Amino acid sequence: MDVAPQTSRLEIPGAGPAIPGSSGAELAHLDFEDERVAALQEQRLAQRRRFIERLQGEGLLLVFGLVFAVMWASSRYFLTVANLLTAASVVSILGIMAVLETLIVIVGEIDISIGSVMAATSVMIGLLVTSGVDVWLAAVIGLAFAGAVGAVNGIITVYFKINSLVTTLGTYSIFLGIAYVVSNTMTVNIGGEGFGKLGSGTILSVPVPVFFFVAIWATVFFVARFTVLGRHIYATGDSYEAALRAGIQADRLRVGLFVAIGLSAGVAGILVTSELGSAAPQIGDPYLLSVVTAVILGGASLRGGRGTMFGTLVAVAILGVLQNGFALLQFSSFLENTVIGCLLIFAVLTDRLVRRAER
Amino acid sequence: MDGIESEQVVAADAQASGGGGAGSRTPLLELRKMSKQFGPVQALSEIDLKVYPGEVTAVVGDNGAGKSVTLKTISGIHPPDGGEILWQGKPVHIRTPKDASALGIETVYQDLALCGNLDVVQNMFLGRERTRNHLLDENSMESAAAATLSSLSVTTLRSVRQSVASLSGGQRQAVAVAKAVMWNSKLVIMDEPTAALGVAQTAMVLELTRRLASRGLGVIFVSHNFNDVFEVADQIAVLYLGRLVASLPAKGLDRQVVVDYVTSGASSRNGSQLAHADGA
Ligand SMILES: Nc1ncnc2c1ncn2[C@@H]1O[C@H](COP(=O)(O)OP(=O)(O)OP(=O)(O)O)[C@@H](O)[C@H]1O
Ligand SMILES: [Mg+2]
Repeated sequence: MDVAPQTSRLEIPGAGPAIPGSSGAELAHLDFEDERVAALQEQRLAQRRRFIERLQGEGLLLVFGLVFAVMWASSRYFLTVANLLTAASVVSILGIMAVLETLIVIVGEIDISIGSVMAATSVMIGLLVTSGVDVWLAAVIGLAFAGAVGAVNGIITVYFKINSLVTTLGTYSIFLGIAYVVSNTMTVNIGGEGFGKLGSGTILSVPVPVFFFVAIWATVFFVARFTVLGRHIYATGDSYEAALRAGIQADRLRVGLFVAIGLSAGVAGILVTSELGSAAPQIGDPYLLSVVTAVILGGASLRGGRGTMFGTLVAVAILGVLQNGFALLQFSSFLENTVIGCLLIFAVLTDRLVRRAER
Repeated sequence: MDGIESEQVVAADAQASGGGGAGSRTPLLELRKMSKQFGPVQALSEIDLKVYPGEVTAVVGDNGAGKSVTLKTISGIHPPDGGEILWQGKPVHIRTPKDASALGIETVYQDLALCGNLDVVQNMFLGRERTRNHLLDENSMESAAAATLSSLSVTTLRSVRQSVASLSGGQRQAVAVAKAVMWNSKLVIMDEPTAALGVAQTAMVLELTRRLASRGLGVIFVSHNFNDVFEVADQIAVLYLGRLVASLPAKGLDRQVVVDYVTSGASSRNGSQLAHADGA
């Protein structure tokens, strides 16, 4: 905190490089040169940006087509309605969380605790049900708990100014630990006719989780694109300072988004618990990496301000096909981890290239 | 937001006037003994400043003199912890940027407060979006933004739907200024608006600044560049280590006098125009 800096940045007229000429003619000439150079640069930048945008938009669709074609060629069960619906049902769980994770990433944060929030929600429902609570009430309580964990993540991150990667890594570990200890790593069976329908039922032969995913995706797409709230999320992610100066309640906004993603993890936990008919602490394990991978692959930038619901949708579809294909071909689920890891690195590198091209 | 405090307006008025024919008019904004402290750092001590409508008041001073802090107290980012602010003659409290904009004070920040990922229209309406049935009313915002830009004769933009990241420094400054005047503002505050600009773009921004004053707005203009300051300013106020050491009409003023005040807080050169020089 220097009160009186020694160096002066004053530009005293007459000393140092003076502004060349101040006659009208000379200014006009400079004006012309300046504008011409600026226009050229701008044009080049615009070209590059358009190329990158196509790479991100059409390129992603191309990857999807490729993965789809490979799977089609590899397994004759792949391209059947029943299989595709199963794949959609499975990937919907990931998709529900990826949608909210996209918003979190756009606003400039990240939440990697979702897998353990899912698990903790499931275990909590199991505990409540074994102690005689109605399964639906238990689900509601589980959902509230998931939202509360989101609020904790948000408050620690926003008001104590802790990097959200660290905050959510912490809560990830805390709640996963609790889930395992409390459940004693045991799986608890959960009966209830109606409750099971949530995860494994179908409407018009389409699995119920798909409806959850589509409804959540469509809602968030709409909010992000057409509402003031969406605009403010993008603005805050690009420049927190600018958002504050524009009068946006950027802190409240970020905490709200953490609550929302907590709730989405709760919904995912409920759906999986319902589908399995049991509560188990392991159910969140696959989602730590895959959700973030889907979001980054979809073009959202970890530096905030960028990302689209459409990109996330395509990325979720890519992961869905991959997961399904791996199951059909009976590849090891460990190999799936490897592939998802590769995709994550690939996605982050692409983002890096995009950013470089924009400078 | 208005604190009703019956201060004796006359006393303070008599003490600090005398410069530049601004005698009888009511200042748009007046700071009286405004102070601000950050922990151990006394960033501002008892600043007295008057800003008149239709004039450009330049605030100059060395690095760390307190220029940005002064502006931030006026715009509600760092509310002052001592002294008072008068708006059109009445004492007011400005605690948040919202309070400031409710009065008609808009700020163009040194580090531009624009979002690169949003386009020109979206930036100009950021935080004050127009809606229709709860949805963003893009058409009405676009035409209002375009109208404001053209009323300021900002013609270098290719499209108002261009993202701000793709604009040149001068274009961004123009957007920031247009954003500031769009809200029927009465006072526009500009913190080093020409700092990162080339010659032609600087000329454009200076012209824009004069245009605001000729529309009857009050303008506070902070710059390190004396060419710029003398080109646009009607009044020049000098800050030195958090104190206001001089407030002088720009017309006919010897630059060297200003340089003296900026570098040492005092001037021995013919001090006839001195309006204010406390203690130093
Ligand atoms: N948010 C803050 N917290 C603590 N100290 C601050 C803060 N903002 C400014 N200061 C201090 O207040 C003093 C005045 O700073 P200010 O930014 O107003 O200088 P300035 O005149 O705008 O300088 P420059 O020409 O470099 O922009 C400095 O000593 C600075 O370190
Ligand atoms: Mg400054």
